This record gives sequence, C-alpha cells and structure tokens, in this order.
Amino acid sequence: MSRPDAVTRILFEAFPTAEVRLFYVIAYTAIAIFFYGVYVQVRKYGRGAPLRLEGGLGRRLADMAAKVFSHRTVERRDPAAGGAHRLIFYGFLLLFLGTATITLQYDILEPLFGIRFWQGPFYLVFSLVLDLAGIALLGGLIYMMYRRGWLKLPKLDYARPDRAPGDADFDRPQYRREDWAFLWTLLVIGFTGYLLEAARLVWLHDRPDVWDTRWWSPVGAALAALLEAAGLGAHGGGVLRLGLWWFHGLLALVFIALIPFTKVKHIFTAAASLMVRDPRAAQRLPRVPENAQTPGIARITDLNWKQLLNLDACTKCGRCHEACPARAVGAPLSPRDVILSLREFASATLESASLPAAADLDVHGKSPGQISMETLWSCRTCMACVEICPVAVEHVPIIVQMRRKLVEDGAMDPLLAKTLQTIHKSGNSFGESKRKRGSWSKPLPFRIKDARKEPVQVLWFVGDYASFDPRNQKVTQTFAALLHQAGVDFGILYDGESNAGNDVRRVGEEGLYEVLAGANIAALEGASFDTIVTTDPHSYNTIRNEYPDFGGTYEIQHYTSFMRRLFAEGKLKVTQPVKLRATFHDPCHLGRFNKGYEAPRELLKLLGCELVEMGRCRDNSFCCGAGGGRIWIPDPVGAEKPAQNRIREAAAIPGLDVYVVSCPKDLTMFEDALKTTGNEGKFVVKELIELIREAVPAPRAEAAPA
Amino acid sequence: MKILVAVKQVAALDEDFTIRADGRDVDEEFLLRDLNEWDDYSLEEAVKIKEAASQPVEVVVITVAPEHADEALRKCLAKGADRAIRVWDEAVEGSDPIAIARVIAAAARRESPAMLFAGVQSSDQAFASTGVAAAAFLEWPHAAVVTSLKLSPGAQSAVFRRELEGGLLEEVEIHCPAVLTIQLGINTPRYASLRSIKQAAAKPIEVKSLSDLGLNTADVGEAGSASRVRRMVIPDKGRAQLIEGDVAAQARRLAEIIREFQGSAP
Repeated sequence: MSRPDAVTRILFEAFPTAEVRLFYVIAYTAIAIFFYGVYVQVRKYGRGAPLRLEGGLGRRLADMAAKVFSHRTVERRDPAAGGAHRLIFYGFLLLFLGTATITLQYDILEPLFGIRFWQGPFYLVFSLVLDLAGIALLGGLIYMMYRRGWLKLPKLDYARPDRAPGDADFDRPQYRREDWAFLWTLLVIGFTGYLLEAARLVWLHDRPDVWDTRWWSPVGAALAALLEAAGLGAHGGGVLRLGLWWFHGLLALVFIALIPFTKVKHIFTAAASLMVRDPRAAQRLPRVPENAQTPGIARITDLNWKQLLNLDACTKCGRCHEACPARAVGAPLSPRDVILSLREFASATLESASLPAAADLDVHGKSPGQISMETLWSCRTCMACVEICPVAVEHVPIIVQMRRKLVEDGAMDPLLAKTLQTIHKSGNSFGESKRKRGSWSKPLPFRIKDARKEPVQVLWFVGDYASFDPRNQKVTQTFAALLHQAGVDFGILYDGESNAGNDVRRVGEEGLYEVLAGANIAALEGASFDTIVTTDPHSYNTIRNEYPDFGGTYEIQHYTSFMRRLFAEGKLKVTQPVKLRATFHDPCHLGRFNKGYEAPRELLKLLGCELVEMGRCRDNSFCCGAGGGRIWIPDPVGAEKPAQNRIREAAAIPGLDVYVVSCPKDLTMFEDALKTTGNEGKFVVKELIELIREAVPAPRAEAAPA
Repeated sequence: MKILVAVKQVAALDEDFTIRADGRDVDEEFLLRDLNEWDDYSLEEAVKIKEAASQPVEVVVITVAPEHADEALRKCLAKGADRAIRVWDEAVEGSDPIAIARVIAAAARRESPAMLFAGVQSSDQAFASTGVAAAAFLEWPHAAVVTSLKLSPGAQSAVFRRELEGGLLEEVEIHCPAVLTIQLGINTPRYASLRSIKQAAAKPIEVKSLSDLGLNTADVGEAGSASRVRRMVIPDKGRAQLIEGDVAAQARRLAEIIREFQGSAP
C-alpha cells in the first residue's frame, strides 16, 4: 500500500473547473430551497394558537432520541414494517453522516485549517460502513415496496370511511403517487451510488491506491467485477462514472430540496412531534382559556402550533385507522383521515405568504379538508389512536376541541342535548332525583357511612352508572358488602356526589364539566378521608388526571388495585376458587388511559380463573363503544356496534365461560351485545366484583342482598 | 320589529315530595324548576325569525315570577333572546292564568311587539289559557296550537298552520299584532351550552313591579283571578298486586279474585 493520504475517495478528479463550480451552484441552490421550505413550514406552525409546553427540553430530547433510535414506537404491532424502517433509517442516517463527513473535510476543515483525516484506514472503514449502510437502505426500501405493492394491507388503503366514492378526496391517489415516488427515488439514489462506485473502480483499475483497497467497498467491488466481465474498460468506466456522478448527485440534491415540501419531511416533523409529545394528552384534556372568544376549534388557526406540527408528522401508517373502533364498525371516522384532512387544510391555507380571510379558515363542514360533525360525533375518545401512533400524533384532544365548537352551536344529536340538560338539572345522566343517588344502599343489612358527616378512611366515589342503573346497582351492593366484610372503614357522599364529568368533558361540553367538577371537588373538600376508591374507570380517570387542574388533588384507586391489596393483606380470602375459563376486557379508562393492566388479571388468577386473552387486549383493547358520550347517542340501526364486534371476538375463544369486565358501562354494553349477537347461553358477562363474591362467599349472617 | 315571548319556569316533582302545610301546593323544597318545554319552542321560533331577518328583530322574553325564575330567563338569553323582563310583586302569589295574562298584556302594551308568542300550555299546570287570555286583554287576534309559521319582519300579517283534531291542519292568515300559542315540534330548540348560560349571567334582567305596568294589587292574586286552588291531593294508588306461589296456587287465587269482582253470582 502506498502513502496513506492517497487512499481516499476520488471526488472531483478529472472534472473541468467549470463543472465543479456548476455543481456547487446547484448544491447551494438546493440547500437554499430546502431552507426556504423549512421557513414556510415553521411559519405555518407559527400561525397556530400559542401553547406553553410543560417539562424540560433535555428530558424531551432524551425521550425523543430513545424512541427514534430504538424504533420502539415504529415496530409496535407491525414488527416487519418496523424492522424495514429501521434498516432504512440507519442506512439513510449513516449515508447522510458519510456525506456530511465529506463536506466537513473537503469544504470546511481542509480549506480553512488544512486538517485532513478522511484518508488511510479511517477512510477504508468509513467506506465499508457506508457500503453496508447502502445494503440496509436498499433492503428496507425493497421490503416497503413489497409491502405496498403485494401485501395490499387494508391500513395502507387510503379510501376514506367519511367520504363516498367519487368525492374529490375519497381515496387521494396523489398520496399513492407520492409514496411510490419516494421509494423509487431513494432506491435509485442508493443503487446509482453503488454503480458509480463500481464505475470509478473500473476507471481507476490501474491505480493501486484505489484498486487494491476495493474490497473495503464490497458491493462496489463486486459490481466492478461484473462490469469488467461484461467488457467495460478504463475509458468506458471513466465516461460512465462522469455520467452517473451527475445523475446521482443531481437526484440527491433534488431530493434534499424537496424534503420540506413532501412526505420526506417526516424525518424532521416526526422527531419534533415525539419531542413535544404530551404523555397525558387524552387523559387530561386542555381547559378552555378564560378569555377565549369561542371555545374549542372553529378555524384551522385555533389548532395550536403543536397540533399543526402533529398533522405534518403523520406518515399515513394506518395504525390508528386499524385500531379505531368507530372505523371498525363502519362509522364515518378514521383518525388518520381527520389528521390528513386537517393537514391538507392547513397546507392550503397557512403556507401562503398572507393569511386567508377568516371565513376561509373554518374547518367544520363537508368540503375537502373540512371535518363533518358526523365524523366528530363518531369518536368514542377511547384513545386507541393516540396510544398506537408511532409519531405521537394526539388525535383525541383535537377531536374533542372541535366538538366543543359543535356543542356551542348546538350541532349534536337531540338525545345527547337532552342528556346534557338532564345532567345539568339533576347531576346525573339518568334524570333521577339527586336524593335517590344513595338509594341503592337501602337494601343492605348495614349502613354505609355518610362521608359528608363523619370521617372515613376510604371515600367511595360511586359514579352515575353504578348508582342508578338497576343491573349495576346489584354489583354496587356486592362491592359494598365486600368492603364491609373486609372491615374497610368507608363511606359515600350520597346526594353530595354528582356525575364525575369525564364523559361530559369528552363530549365537548366544557362548561358543564366545570360545573360538575366544581360540585364534586366542593363535596370532596367537605369530607374527611385518606383515599378515594371507585368502581368506575371513567370517574377514576377524570378525578385522577383532570380534577387537579380544578384545584382537587386526591389519591384515587380503581377497585381492582384496592381489592388486590385487600387480598394481599389477608382481609379477603378465596375460599371457593372459581374454576372458570375467563377472558378479560380492559376498559379504556383503566387500561390505556391509566395503565391499570395488571391488577384485574392478578385478581382473576387469584380467584382461580384460567385467563385466556383476546387478540386485542391491554393497550390494544377494543372500546365497548360507550366512551366519549356515545352511550347517550343512539348507534345507527342495523350497523354493527363496537360491543358486538368485541363479543364476537370473545366468542371465538373455545370453551369460554365468562367475559369479565371491570367497568359499569362495559357491563351494560356487553350484556346487551351478548344477547344481540346471539351468544346468550354460550358464555356470560360478569363484573369482576361478582366473581370475587363467588370466590369469597359472604358470612352466613350477612348474605348479599339479592 | 319586536317579538315578545311569554315564558314560565315550571316545576317538576322530586322524589317523596310532601304537600305544603296549607294544603294548596307542594312543599317548595321538592320542586325541581326548569323552563317550560313549550317555551323552548316558542323562543326558538322567535330567535329563528330574528336570525333569518334582514332587518333588526328584537326578541324579548317576559315572565311573571319571583327571583328564582331568573335562571330560566338566563337560559332564554343564552339561546338568543335580546332582553328579559321579570314582573313580580308579593301580591301576585295565588294568581290564576287570567291574572297572569293581565300582567303580561299590560307589559305587552308597553313593549308594543308585532307578535306575542306563548307556549300552548305549561307542563306543570296545563291550563293552556295564559296566551289566549292575554290576547283577550289586548284585544288582539289570536290562534292556538301553531305548528308552523311564516312571518316576515315588517309585514302586516303572518301565515301559519295550526293543529286540529284528527290529524288535520288549518292554514290561517292573521293580522299583526297577534298572539300565537306555539306547539311542540314546530322546530328543534337549540342547546344552550353552559358557557353561553354563564355569559348570559352578565346580561341584565329587567325587574318590573305592578306599578311599573300601571297595575295594582287588586289586578292580581286571588282578587284578580277567576279561580283559586282549594287544595292539592295525592290520589289513592291503584290496587295492583303480585300473585305469588306455584302455578296451581296462583290460579286458585286468581279465580278467587274474579269471583270477588263478580259478586255472588254462581
């Protein structure tokens, strides 16, 4: 081997000065276009509403980096796509760093400081790494092409459930064209890179510095051998090298220039979106500012800058589309299409030099880019979309904030309007008298303490469904009997309790939510207790995550974790194991919202049940369809309901005895779905509390009330 | 143009209510108050006319009630009424619909609207007479049970349809000013969000006394009424009973009951 500094990449050798200059002109133009595009995008985000992020930049950066480099969010529920994307990501990143290294050496360090490092052994290793990176990139790209072209995954079908065939924005073929152009462009850039390397080797076959070290670029060397075998000589190699050099270079520069204007921008927007992620986005909805002109989102500029950034982060991967319970039963909603519609709307209105008239910024309606009220009211706010989004798009807060505008305009189902009025008037959704809230406790053989009048250790927040729904009242009484049996010092607020407001808030009736939260916090402040327990995951969520914003910070537990402790402490004992084949339905507000996956499962095992999981469980649990106020809106007649879809999933488990729920609304929804799907008699729907009662029989004197 | 809408805050009964000591009404503590359902529709009709008009239309709501009715008036303001008037005097207590109508008519004379709307009836008392009685005091033409309405602001007359028995409708033209009592279903009342109700709390409610309207205490209360409530009673519950026991026992008991009803016939 000769002098180490001779072993390096051949860059502009044999180029006339004019051509080198031309290249630099083109390169700087491409970079200028790139930065102009970045400016246009940043200006667009700046036109959104202001938002102050909580939490430090350092932690956000670390969190983002961990997700980006591990690809944890990209491979969830689709490991093949995640793996292929990881190859593309690392291949692209290394090739980009490689090019950046060349620029650092050739255009900065050497001309300014005379420093040369990109040579000798470092160059050879560099060369090998980049060749391998290229293989990763091409491999990943080819799998993605196979996935789009042959697998025909439903989640990659852009046909929209909220539009009809023939509508201008029904299946958006421009997205398909862009997807393919993206894959092909990268593929061609990668492949011509190898070919260029091979042509250079053939051209410089006689130079030992180049030829003898060629196997440090294994793909290029192998291709060079092929070209020579096909009869290519040094002169031909030189001509080919020049042509490919320009083709490869220009294509790469065009690609760079177009990044901010195409889907390629996700390499920046997705990372930025992950960085500004709100880990409690759907759990704790934003308040309406005191001085807001209109509540919620009426115009595109009512989205805050982070939400506008979210729109641009979407990569159309379709995971939210796949997970959405409304979409699954044919409702006119796909979270993906809400995001894409708003993105199209934002691009059309906010990327121009001046802001269009206010009238042209209305995001509500049926025109392309607008969202219809039917779409918004289809959402169950189950958080399945937010949970699975690999780039931290937060759909649910956008949908709820858009509903706030609909509520203000009264654009909602008349039955929903009536329910909201009922809740305002009576504090519960059943239209029952406030006085009757504690009536379920009358048949009990013991008295439940009134927590407003005497101190208790455990304050039980009962909730609407558990208080008033006749079927759930039986469960509520059973739970009371279990607490009594375990010797827990507990009490309830009787008519001091109101609907917790979780679903009212998710409907978008923020004013009513404020009234309800205020009333409950006032009642809780008047009571003396150590901890709150509830059997209702909806109440649990809002008291835990949202009441603090209204001045009420309490320790609250769902009954599953509370019961688990009673067993652990020996206050309750399993004496008659329940040997049933059971499956467990994770309630959205206990599971996804508050990560309470383990306690109910541990309880089931403790009781002696054999737990068989459904395919969609834990973070991918399938909503019963009652969330977000949908329990007060009739589902379309004839169409499948989410609860029916779910019961059919459970029915496929061989020999299933019991479908276990741990949420009052779930009990109502699934007992109904069990009957309407014709599965009655095959298995039963039960509250976990009822199974606990079976395993822990009541002492003789205090048999549970019928 | 101005539309005056007479509204009422009605009362529904809460659980386990008791009758007041004087026996003439339910104990206040057990009353759940809300805007009369019919008034939701008459107010909506007025607000719809206002929103569709090219010239300014003022919608004014009026009620004859003590302070607790302000809540109902705020709901009306939240739904689009421009002004709210509440007339009250201790002497109004005990008034029948005729006396209430006299007060509303006196207010209408001062407001001189092109139309006075009222609900067909109130859900708690169901006299269905306040609106038409007000028309009699005003000597204005009137129509009851209106199910659709065409009214262009500034026009001398309006065309409407009213509900007759047997599913029949009658289309009528009426000269303004007139009194119309509005039936449920004429429109879809809008939802008043809590936010709009809160904002309406800032709007003033005009409180007027009898003398402001040129009336005196003899015009209202029992003195000004054509009828008075003597007492309120809770009727005896029906005599349903669940027959228990096995089928044979149930059949035997059923036969006994039938014989009891038949008397001593063989």
